[in-house]
Amino acid sequence: MSLRPALFFQGSHLALLRCASLLVPRRQREEWWKEWQSEVWHVRQARTPEHGVWWSVSWQGEQEVAAFCLGAFQDALCLRQQHRPKAVPLATTMGSAMQCVLFLIGLIAVSYGLGLLLPGVQRELQSSPYRDTKNLMLIQDAQNTDDAIPSISTEQFGAWKSQRQKLFDGFAFYRVEREAVSWPSHLPMTLTVAHGSSNLFDLLGLDARFANPEDRSRGLLQIILSDEVWKNRFGQDPHIAGAVVRDGLREAMVIGVAPSGVWRLPGKVDAWVLEPETEAPPVGLGFVVAHLKPSAEHDRWGERWRMSSLTPHSGAQDFLCVSLAERTHRSWGIFLFTIFLACLSLPATTSLPLGEYRVHSHRLPWSTRLRRWAFLGCKLALLLPVVYFVSLDLAYLRVTFSPVSSDYIQMVVSFSICLFGLRWMLRDQRQRCPVCLGKLTHPARVGEPSRNFLGWNGMELICVGGHGLLHVPEIQTSWFGTQRWLYLDPSWDVLFTESGLASVVDYG
Amino acid sequence: MTVEMKLSHTAAMILQAVNAGYVYGFSVMEMTGLPSGTVYPAMRRLERDELIRSSWEQQSIADAEQRPPRKYYKLTKAGKATLEASRKRYPLLAKLISSEEVKPA
Repeated sequence: MSLRPALFFQGSHLALLRCASLLVPRRQREEWWKEWQSEVWHVRQARTPEHGVWWSVSWQGEQEVAAFCLGAFQDALCLRQQHRPKAVPLATTMGSAMQCVLFLIGLIAVSYGLGLLLPGVQRELQSSPYRDTKNLMLIQDAQNTDDAIPSISTEQFGAWKSQRQKLFDGFAFYRVEREAVSWPSHLPMTLTVAHGSSNLFDLLGLDARFANPEDRSRGLLQIILSDEVWKNRFGQDPHIAGAVVRDGLREAMVIGVAPSGVWRLPGKVDAWVLEPETEAPPVGLGFVVAHLKPSAEHDRWGERWRMSSLTPHSGAQDFLCVSLAERTHRSWGIFLFTIFLACLSLPATTSLPLGEYRVHSHRLPWSTRLRRWAFLGCKLALLLPVVYFVSLDLAYLRVTFSPVSSDYIQMVVSFSICLFGLRWMLRDQRQRCPVCLGKLTHPARVGEPSRNFLGWNGMELICVGGHGLLHVPEIQTSWFGTQRWLYLDPSWDVLFTESGLASVVDYG
Repeated sequence: MTVEMKLSHTAAMILQAVNAGYVYGFSVMEMTGLPSGTVYPAMRRLERDELIRSSWEQQSIADAEQRPPRKYYKLTKAGKATLEASRKRYPLLAKLISSEEVKPA
């Protein structure tokens, strides 16, 4: 048995047609296949006449038939395009999806811009100024409930520093006091001064502006001014480094200015006096910062953990170690926590479903359905920055707010805005046309409340694009639980569409 | 309100060919010299816009001639009006495909 070349080509051409038919929508495929099969038969008859010899092939004719079959792909694509559901343009009327998105973007811009004017917000938005923040731990007495109150004695600090340590490889101590500081050509001023160990800034990894290494070797106490004091009290003098001021009864040399917003430890400080241990008073309470030796095991402990340590009086005491990473990202933690709370509370304020849709009678294209969900996601994505920035703006609106007050304000504001924002987002979505995402208008009351058990009463809204009607029940019943969307069929188009205009049609 | 449809030269040529009696795709191709990838999609669009309509040949006729049945195209009333307008727009159209060459369907 031998294969006739003509049969081989015929089979190849039909295979080409079969491939092209896969591009045709399923409903039209059968008729399309029938037409092309018939046409190819006639083309073959016209182009490849029988020669009577089984091995004879008209190469030119076969080429022409193949070229004819390749045209089927263009036809199939054309048919596919014709029967593709048309994408409905987004509504451009008042309250359109675009306007909603632009409004939210505007809110983000305003709240962020306001935040840039507030020093507290600026500080929160900046990254941590410390070196190796994760391993820098603030150590407090475990019984101490307020981390703004000093709880570590200088004796305890001395004991830790003098003993060989397994956990930490560096300690620094500071205590905060109000003191009079005088300068030759200025009136004495009372400042909040942090008396710290000489390695305090080095351990934190902070650099002071205008610092000159030679100033450190002159044998005097060293003082670093805060940016605020330098600007307000010293008139932004660029030659401040090297000046000698009197701190109480002692003289200290200004060795630099700390950049704004770098101090994230307890206490609002105007200046830092770095003292050698020999100059530090033997008694008193303060704060201790320690650097944890980096290790995989320590990473697993997290940002807050307890430790037990011997005290100078031979007793054991519990201490709480809090990573500075937790302190520097506290506002972010509060924000995430309030989102979680708001999500839990949301079902109590509004129903979560977006309404009933009669999908069986009117199948929306997947792109339209996806667009609707994308809009909801977009609103959520834009709402969260608004919540974050507005809550920060209000929490740090005044510089006099204590850190604890700011935390509480941020928590309350963030939770409130997030909860009502999510509620608005869902309600807004329910009051939009699922096809063009335009805001539904023309509310009309329908039904009679007195006949609730015989009929139904509620509100009807309409899409000005003519895509449908929304029925919102006044009272939820077992047969009408939630709002219902009714698609309008094309027979209603005449009420909404504009008459066609002259057009040039290119069929080629 | 009537819609004035201005056809491209290719579409007008195909419409003229159908009117001249070339009533199936392959014959339109042969008459106009256009490839199948142009003729068949154009005829689909013309049919969509109701300028032509198609009908299947009776199976008995095809069986008698021992061939598969063909799909024939015919101008609609709107198609004839549009063709008239196109002839004014493209004066050489009637000379390219003369209506005298009408073949029986």
